[in-house]
Amino acid sequence: MRQFGWNEFQLLVFAARWTIILAIIAFVGGGIGGLIVALLRTADNRVARGAMIVFIRVFQGTPLLMQLFLAYFGMAIFGFTVNPLIAAMIALTAHASGYLGEIWRGCIEAVPRGQTEASIALGLHYFARMRYVVLPQAARVAVPPTVGFLVQLLKETSLTSIIGFVELAREGQIITSVTFRPFLVYGLVAAIYFAMCWPLSLVAGRMERGLARATKR
Amino acid sequence: MNAFRKALTIVAGLLLAAGTMSAHADAMQDIEAHKAIKVGMLVDFPPYGLMNEQNKPDGYDADVAKLLAQDFGVNLQLVPVTGPNRIPYLLSGQVDLLVASLGITPERAKSVDFSEPYAAITIGVYGKDDVKVTKPEDLAGKTIAVARASTQDTAVTKVAPKSATIRRFDSDAAALQALISGQVPLVGCSNVCYLTIQKLAPGKYNKKFELSSQVQGIAVKPGEQKLLARINQFIDKIKANGELDKVNEKWLKEPMPAVLKKK
Repeated sequence: MRQFGWNEFQLLVFAARWTIILAIIAFVGGGIGGLIVALLRTADNRVARGAMIVFIRVFQGTPLLMQLFLAYFGMAIFGFTVNPLIAAMIALTAHASGYLGEIWRGCIEAVPRGQTEASIALGLHYFARMRYVVLPQAARVAVPPTVGFLVQLLKETSLTSIIGFVELAREGQIITSVTFRPFLVYGLVAAIYFAMCWPLSLVAGRMERGLARATKR
Repeated sequence: MNAFRKALTIVAGLLLAAGTMSAHADAMQDIEAHKAIKVGMLVDFPPYGLMNEQNKPDGYDADVAKLLAQDFGVNLQLVPVTGPNRIPYLLSGQVDLLVASLGITPERAKSVDFSEPYAAITIGVYGKDDVKVTKPEDLAGKTIAVARASTQDTAVTKVAPKSATIRRFDSDAAALQALISGQVPLVGCSNVCYLTIQKLAPGKYNKKFELSSQVQGIAVKPGEQKLLARINQFIDKIKANGELDKVNEKWLKEPMPAVLKKK
């Protein structure tokens, strides 16, 4: 047993770097994957739509914990010894893509059908139609649910401790096991999570106001 | 058994099945060829496994692992694992062996092969002085805290009557906190944890009854006979030359328990 001191506090703050790295991986991977899923999910091609429905059902319907577990231990069994970071990247990206894809599909469908029809009448192709007409309008509605999900995702990175990451929550557990000060340690862990999530919400509020101005009629 | 543990057991079983299908190279040869050994150990189970002030794995298990690597003449790489994921780490080949305070139980012996014991813990039920419990039947209608997926979890689950409530926590520390903050009157834990209870709240809690004394072994993947024989040779050596006694004195402040001496 040892005292909780400056050294232990530094360890906690230092462990938060993994939370940040993993969250960035999940945001970027999920952002790209989610956009692809959302576009295919709203495409005219039935096969693409069907495939994306299956993808979304699978990754929304299974726990992230199991996805991480299978990505790391499952692949190792079949001879692909994956680095934990790669396994986390795969699982977090697939998980975030499943959710963001479905959120953004809803936002794309919320743009009035007349907008699409009008741009077809103007002779805009699919790419230009999405880029200049549909997505900018969808983005405005997309901000609040997207940020809500990202905040949740940041906290869910704590599940990566199952495959060996010592991120913020896990470091808290380890330090608690030697200091026996759970209230202090977990209180600090919660405060550090808050310090990471709150700025996200602030940025979201600003973006929302900006987008509202841009699309005001 | 809770859902999470059940799911892990199922997945571990699948991994085992897949693992035995693919014929694997001899682990002992791998270790000698790479001149390195990957050892999984707990880091939240003091004094057996912990992170020291330098944030490096340390403790009884770490010292045994260091002696083992020295004896094998290879470099040591300590891999921190947790209680629920240590067996998957071993079966999927992410570590060569576990010196992870893994109690030798018939249940676990189905999925891993154990060496001779290298450590022992006695576990029991502890609680407030005024709680009258002397045998498992007395747990009826009472609440008892344990660390999830631990040996004491299995032992308490086995002996507790149906009307007892077992509250499972993520770690011993959380279970002890529940006891000390008064959320539960009883806890199932080891002699080691009891020392901690005594430090935090001296004289308020005592031992109700002993569940078992649990010996711990070094675990290897099933069928790694050569590696296992070499580990047993190492354990015999450190028991005979007093090095294991020193490790016990250092971390547990008592000589090697008698249960380790008999063959």
